[in-house]
Amino acid sequence: MTAATAVTAGAAATSSVSPALELRGIVKRFPGVLANDHIDLSVERGEIRALLGENGAGKTTLMRVLYGLYPPDAGEIQLAGQTQHFRSPTDAIEAGLGMVHQHFMLFPSLTVAENIVYGREPRRWGFIDRRTAARQVAALAERYGLEVDPGARVADLSVGLRQRVEILKTLYRDAQVLILDEPTAVLTPQERQGLFRVLRELAGQGKTVIFITHKLQEVMEIADRATVLRNGRVEATVRIADSSPTELCRYMVGRDVLPDPIRTPKSAGDPVLTVADLVVLDNAGRRVVDGVSFEVRAGEIVGLAGVAGNGQSELVAAIAGLRSATAGRVMLSQQDANTTSIAARRRAGLAYIPEDRNRVGLALAASVADNLIMADQRNSSRTPRLSKRGVLSRAGIERYATDLIERFDIKVASTREAVGNLSGGNRQKVVAARELAQEPIVLIAEQPTQGVDVGAAESIHRDLLAVRDAGRAVLLSSAESSEILSLCDRILVMFEGRIVGELSAEAVGADPAAEATLGLLAAGGAT
Amino acid sequence: MSRFRKGAALWGSLTAPAITAPIFAVLGALMLGALLMLATGHDPLAAYRAMLEGALGGRQLANLMATLARATPIVGMGLAIAVALRGGYLNLGGEGQLVLGGLASALVALYTPLPGWLLLPASLIAGALAGGAWALLAAGLDRWCRVPLLIGTLLLNYPARYLASYLVNHPLRDVASGMSQTHRVPEAVELPRLIAGTRLHIGALIVLALVLAAAWIVRRTRVGYELRMTGLNPSFARYGGVDTVRLGFGAMMLSGGIAGLVGAMEVLGTHHRFIDNALTGPLYAWTGLMAALLAGSSPLGVLAAGLFFAAVHTGGFGMERGAQVPRELSRVLQALMILLIAARGQLLTPRRGGSTAAAGKAGAT
Ligand SMILES: Nc1ncnc2c1ncn2[C@@H]1O[C@H](COP(=O)(O)OP(=O)(O)OP(=O)(O)O)[C@@H](O)[C@H]1O
Ligand SMILES: [Mg+2]
Repeated sequence: MTAATAVTAGAAATSSVSPALELRGIVKRFPGVLANDHIDLSVERGEIRALLGENGAGKTTLMRVLYGLYPPDAGEIQLAGQTQHFRSPTDAIEAGLGMVHQHFMLFPSLTVAENIVYGREPRRWGFIDRRTAARQVAALAERYGLEVDPGARVADLSVGLRQRVEILKTLYRDAQVLILDEPTAVLTPQERQGLFRVLRELAGQGKTVIFITHKLQEVMEIADRATVLRNGRVEATVRIADSSPTELCRYMVGRDVLPDPIRTPKSAGDPVLTVADLVVLDNAGRRVVDGVSFEVRAGEIVGLAGVAGNGQSELVAAIAGLRSATAGRVMLSQQDANTTSIAARRRAGLAYIPEDRNRVGLALAASVADNLIMADQRNSSRTPRLSKRGVLSRAGIERYATDLIERFDIKVASTREAVGNLSGGNRQKVVAARELAQEPIVLIAEQPTQGVDVGAAESIHRDLLAVRDAGRAVLLSSAESSEILSLCDRILVMFEGRIVGELSAEAVGADPAAEATLGLLAAGGAT
Repeated sequence: MSRFRKGAALWGSLTAPAITAPIFAVLGALMLGALLMLATGHDPLAAYRAMLEGALGGRQLANLMATLARATPIVGMGLAIAVALRGGYLNLGGEGQLVLGGLASALVALYTPLPGWLLLPASLIAGALAGGAWALLAAGLDRWCRVPLLIGTLLLNYPARYLASYLVNHPLRDVASGMSQTHRVPEAVELPRLIAGTRLHIGALIVLALVLAAAWIVRRTRVGYELRMTGLNPSFARYGGVDTVRLGFGAMMLSGGIAGLVGAMEVLGTHHRFIDNALTGPLYAWTGLMAALLAGSSPLGVLAAGLFFAAVHTGGFGMERGAQVPRELSRVLQALMILLIAARGQLLTPRRGGSTAAAGKAGAT
């Protein structure tokens, strides 16, 4: 046995050396919720540990306690055997912790480079050296295969790109213990591979990685061990080599998760969404959508695939009316929608699950009920009635909200709780519940299952198929190619603002390498 | 799903920082004030007794009436600011809207040939319209000329004030009175006093009604819902189909309209003429702004905050008279109280883990 292997073996096995990180008896309470209930967690040097659990199980809370964002109500944190009392993230960073946050913590008005070097800026004569910063960031992005424009303003970036910035920010700081809270929620398979390469490399250097995700395939691929939380408690810690997705799933939800629903072939009807020669400029004036045309017909799910930053976000925003198009047309049920307001589009049967739930899809400070009735507050035809002659009906709203909370299994203390208190996946469920409940003619679903657990993802997939089977239409934009491949009747691939390829369900079904084809197209390769 | 236990919820809301913080703040300010008075050789107990008496007592509760009379324009202006602020529109032009409202009502009362019974409502409406129009102008500048609302509303205060000053100093001046003021309005246009011999007029009831109406509209109506959502996250409201442009114009018009009406009621109810600086001198608009900010633009909160500010002010006079605490010291004490309330008790209440505050700031992007 060589010295090198001896070191790794020693690090991975439990030994007399203190673990890199040890949490003992962590308790964290919120009003009405026991989010962490005496959690013990011990992670070795050089280990990649997956942290799993249903939405609201307490994963983010535990990591925020570790990172100094919440003081624990009880319990102890040790790093390499030393007891720590973090009073703020600054203390945690000082001690060698880094965290990629589920709810991004970036300054929207600063550039990508400024956000990444924040707190550790390269200086020249006492001033921040922007040029060096931009160069360092570009080099970092290049090295890890996470491409970003260092000079772009974060406010102008899509969610996928902001996620890359969060990851790069943590890598820049060169932490010893890396916490990644759902870093892959909106990454494409290619980007994910890049990230995994980085994580393996870091673990090889003896760093410790804690990785939260809802995608079990990722766990099987990257993690050494997995810890499953359930209702704030540790349910199990298992070695991945001895485990299976089914077993992990059982620990998470206490039952076997249903397999994804099967899409039955069905002939499509008339076009209900028509996009013709659409051109959309981004905030810097670039043609990010460059003459796109397609149709979505009734009874069809059409997928929009591609690497983040190739114009999908802007295309979808233009269809929804949140961004104006410089040229081209959008038609809903064959009526021109270009000049109509968002309210008119919604009246024409458009619903929209936006990718950015925190900035667009929700008002975080408002209650769950207030968030659930948006866009429907003027609809007097729905039962229970939400408003009558301009006056809100409190009983109706309460009934409606309670009903949706139950139907979509949203974990909340009450309908009056602020949405900002909800876990990431539960916030996503609020958005999805609201838009699906509109019974839309055309549903635009943008990363509809980001951050939701396997059970909820499966149920949202079922709901999307139900929309289609009821003879209505879905435009599904997702970074998750398995989601696209299993649900869509047709798939459009976007690259640099154009549609560079179209795959049909039949072709995909017959082709075992469909995912690879999709990846190739998305990366700009030819058909 | 765990249902909220009613009792726990009630107890929770009573001990919530929103309620306890102002109480701590007032107690803290009183304590600091006591130290200050001890240090300057005054008897704090006597001074506070005089303050309480000055704010709420007096022969036949005359001081209480003075407090209520003072609170009327403060609460009114607070409400004006709050209705716009609820939607995220910061109207710093309350002063100009107030002055123009007062001026317009005086002009209509003095110079239109309307029959007596119509003159009073016409004057009030003219005041509201003038204030509303001035606020709309700022909203239009924001929309079409890219002058931020904050700056537009603030800057429009100056032309409004100086225009009014010019008019009452020159063309419209009641020369015989020797003062910078208009002639006295006809008796038929005066707002009736609620209690003879005090300055409390029927405008107090109108303001109270407006507060209650606004509270109901914000909480229970569709347009109130849309206003609240726009204030919390305008992108979300727009995404949900709210016409935020129209809503913004509406909110500003209402805000300016209330400010104008308050001006009109002061002119017709208190002074019975437009007197230069009578509306700007007591800083009604700015005190109202402070009340709106402190109350988190809740109408009922504005009512409480406005009454409190008025009481502190009249109480300060009482302290000067009753306990010989010099005016300067009583002003320092007033400022302390307001400052501590503005800090929402953060300076005094122990930090409860700081958890909710940190969480609130988290989802920045
Ligand atoms: N700031 C807060 N105030 C009140 N309750 C909170 C707060 N943060 C989290 N909670 C509650 O604590 C529980 C755990 O939330 P947490 O965010 O840790 O879940 P999670 O495991 O990360 O879920 P997800 O997979 O959806 O991200 C949830 O019930 C949530 O509603
Ligand atoms: Mg989470």
